[in-house]
Amino acid sequence: MTDPNRHSPLEDVQGIAFGVTMAAFGMHLLTHMGFVTGQTTGLAVLLAHMTGLPFPAVYFAVTLPFLGLGWRRMGARFALKTLATTAALSLLVMVLPRWAELGRIEPLFAAPLIGLLFGIAALAAIRHGGSFGGLSVLWIELQDRTGFPAGHAQLLSDVLIFAAAALILPFDTLVYSFLGAAVFALFLAINHRRDRYVAV
Amino acid sequence: MTDPERHTLIEDAQGIVYGATMAAFGIVILTHLGLVTGQTAGLAVLISYATGWSFGPVFFVINLPFYLLGALRMGWQFTAKTFTAVGLLSGLSLWLPSQVSFATLNPIVGVVLFGFLSGSALLALFRHGASLGGIGIVALMLQDRLGWRAGWVQLGFDAILFTLAFAVIEARLVLISFLGALVVNLVIAINHRRDRYVAT
Repeated sequence: MTDPNRHSPLEDVQGIAFGVTMAAFGMHLLTHMGFVTGQTTGLAVLLAHMTGLPFPAVYFAVTLPFLGLGWRRMGARFALKTLATTAALSLLVMVLPRWAELGRIEPLFAAPLIGLLFGIAALAAIRHGGSFGGLSVLWIELQDRTGFPAGHAQLLSDVLIFAAAALILPFDTLVYSFLGAAVFALFLAINHRRDRYVAV
Repeated sequence: MTDPERHTLIEDAQGIVYGATMAAFGIVILTHLGLVTGQTAGLAVLISYATGWSFGPVFFVINLPFYLLGALRMGWQFTAKTFTAVGLLSGLSLWLPSQVSFATLNPIVGVVLFGFLSGSALLALFRHGASLGGIGIVALMLQDRLGWRAGWVQLGFDAILFTLAFAVIEARLVLISFLGALVVNLVIAINHRRDRYVAT
């Protein structure tokens, strides 16, 4: 068996591949239902909605400017790993509708399912040192420069994304979107524990 | 924050709900494609195909004899959690087809999705002191008592099940099913590590 405290490269690859697949399936469900969510994915959903451009392309484009920031802060290795992850994710979201065309899905079931899929995807990526890139690195930079807490900036940006969504989405869609985002946040808050999952 | 070494009741409950939901969604995908799988769930799927009975009730009944073994060797808490997970999965698998449907689903993509969903479902259940009953209890017991990897024991049981499957479904579908069972068992063999996820 491998070192309990360090993942081997192969273990990291399977963890991140799992995360990318679950995130892609979650995004496929999210866009199929016309829901929004928080952070980078939510921003990309709104921009795709407003411009009419395909969501996977918008998502990939949105993550690009933050790659430079990630490179400066966390180094070339982290930036290239993030680029590979977001590229794979965007590609998978692009081709998934061709392989898995969704039929009728009840929104009350879809919302928590999206939350669980995003939650497990983020958990696997974090535990295996991966990153889906985007806004979060900006909030860390902001905290370092101005002292404004990254967690607050993240929450505030989600409030703004949902406020913008409220202008263009029907009320029930907004409520289901919020339910999905709440399940996602709660799942991560309970299960992301470096004191329980000790390997890095 | 809660004790790093011990899960609270709420933490275990959300882990078991996650596991049962993802496993049930996996079964919806698997049976939509007419595929089989390993373990007790695989036996129930095979019986369900052969008799026309629904998966949920068959799976629930097959598991009944194993609770005695579970209570004797793994304790009442593990048995109660497993009973809850099996009950939830049985109920959800009856309800889910009314909630979610696929217009088209590529069998290879579907079976990999099934593998990731059930693999992470079982991982969550194991880490929260539960299982999906049946052969899982036997495999887990052997890992804890004799140090045999649970993944390998399950692979042996699966080999027998897949031989029987050739009599019930097309050979092509059995081969595709094999890929799914491989993914499930790989996810568990690589990631079920008590030295990495230390909470019980």
